[in-house]
Amino acid sequence: MEQTEVMKPETLNDLIKVLHQIFSSDTVNVEEVQNLMESYESKPQEWMAYAQFDKFRYTRNLVDEGNGKFNLMILCWGEGHGSSIHDHTDSHCFMKLLQGQLKETLFEWPDHKINGGMTKKSERVLQENQCAYISDSIGLHQVENVSHTEPAVSLHLYSPQFDHCNTFDQRTGHRNTVKMTFWSKYGERTPFVSSY
Amino acid sequence: MDVYEGLEGEKVLNLSRLNLDNLDLDDVGEERKRDTQQLFLVYNRFIMLPGSICHFSNLVFLDISCNRLAFICEDILRLSKLKTLVAKNNRLDEFSLPKDFGTMSLEVLNFSGNRFEEFPSEFLNLQRLQSLSLGGNRLKSIPAEIEQLTSGSKVLVYHGFRPECATKLYMQITVQLALQFSLMCNVILRHFSLIIQTQTDFTKLKHAALHILELLYLGGNSITSIPPELANLPYLSYLVLCDNRIQSIPPQLAQMNSLRSLSLHNNLLTYLPREILSLFQLQELSLRGNPLVVRFVKDMTYDPPSLLELAGRTVKSRNLPYKPEDLPGNLVRYLDLASKCPNPKCGGVYFDSCVRHIKFVDFCGKYRLPLMHYLCSPECSSPCSSNPQSDADSEDESSVPAHRMQKVLLG
Repeated sequence: MEQTEVMKPETLNDLIKVLHQIFSSDTVNVEEVQNLMESYESKPQEWMAYAQFDKFRYTRNLVDEGNGKFNLMILCWGEGHGSSIHDHTDSHCFMKLLQGQLKETLFEWPDHKINGGMTKKSERVLQENQCAYISDSIGLHQVENVSHTEPAVSLHLYSPQFDHCNTFDQRTGHRNTVKMTFWSKYGERTPFVSSY
Repeated sequence: MDVYEGLEGEKVLNLSRLNLDNLDLDDVGEERKRDTQQLFLVYNRFIMLPGSICHFSNLVFLDISCNRLAFICEDILRLSKLKTLVAKNNRLDEFSLPKDFGTMSLEVLNFSGNRFEEFPSEFLNLQRLQSLSLGGNRLKSIPAEIEQLTSGSKVLVYHGFRPECATKLYMQITVQLALQFSLMCNVILRHFSLIIQTQTDFTKLKHAALHILELLYLGGNSITSIPPELANLPYLSYLVLCDNRIQSIPPQLAQMNSLRSLSLHNNLLTYLPREILSLFQLQELSLRGNPLVVRFVKDMTYDPPSLLELAGRTVKSRNLPYKPEDLPGNLVRYLDLASKCPNPKCGGVYFDSCVRHIKFVDFCGKYRLPLMHYLCSPECSSPCSSNPQSDADSEDESSVPAHRMQKVLLG
């Protein structure tokens, strides 16, 4: 299969343009997207407007809606901030480090008779500019900024778009569906109004 | 995040990544020195905070992270307008600070990634401090003095304050008295009015140091326990204790109504105190990486009570009247330490002799958290533990409505 020539995107806007082109077709070449995202060298002044931190927990900041084909967002992780173990609702998930480091721990899907907690598959620390990929067929993961001194910023692409996922209790495998919200969209703060 | 927003141009001076080991300001004009409000000296080679820094008389924000700082000189005290000091990833310890550091008007202090082994006592005097980060150091403990009254306040006079404050303040004062005053103090409790007479003058109560602290980051240290005095910080909303060696949480933390986010992941917790359910403002709670008990284990160890304990229980549960003058001070204090058995059908109290009882409570509808109950005897039991061997038990007399805890992330 002939691979389209991938030009290294110099800017974030270049990256977004190429992503739009790639996702205009119906099939996704995971390696192509991963290599493309990895080849963009992070330049803070290009994404600073989206990097809005919350002191209590990590934030999700929407950058682009990919013509309905994907969501591109920037996640900001303060010191010690981490996510639950979660799945990706049958979508592709690409995660690229723009600043700092993030620890990714992979887990097996829990089965019914769980004893001694969910099974950890592997863990690694992603470095700046590195891009990871995960989908439900690979498993579940947990992402954490384990640094006590440095915040981290990551660029995420999800295709197709989704706004619910499941979180899992590591001790029991119990799952819970949660709604995902955005801290900001296109650089503008968008507070979530709870229905509770 | 210590990002200081909004300043541009002459007010910001960025001297980062320049291999500096001294701060020669000959090239910086007088006006620039006066106008600069933010100064970045990140990623240089400073071993000491340069004395010339005091020429920036209007400095509000200073970031000198990622250097080789072992010592902060007294000149920093001359930066009277400094509100934010960031000195991450240096070589500072509790001996690095100038003596009067506590007199500064700092609001945000970040000393993460240094070599502090003890909580610097100078910090306890920073009256304006709102945010304190000491993550990634070598702290072994948090001092009880974190909520202590500043030195100079001797005596307290209250009349007719609200009943709900009375007990807490009474306890605080008795503990303080035990430490500071001799048996010459008389304590008289009359209808929620509290008068303490001592041989010294009556002076006004000063606010505790760290009184307005909102953020306390102590993750990544070697802390083994949490002093209950931490609960007396009335505005603390973000408390980070992850990546330490903490084995238990004092139940007094449940009084922290201001607490919005509590980070406890990667510690040595096997259970939580049941009082944690009353933290109604809590929206984030992290517990991963703790050896939390999964299956219910009934703790059958029970030391029979001493005669002192039995006498104390009788006095309390039968409400036998006594006045502090009737008893030696140590017995009065002992009686004040009585804990009520949480079983509402039991009118009993206990002092030291109690049975631990791990009860699983369905916390925010997601997980089964092992919560610790203390019961006065093995025969006593919480109302709904009809099947104590099962961890399907999910009722609790003070269970939190699910909607209140919906956003708790037990990750």
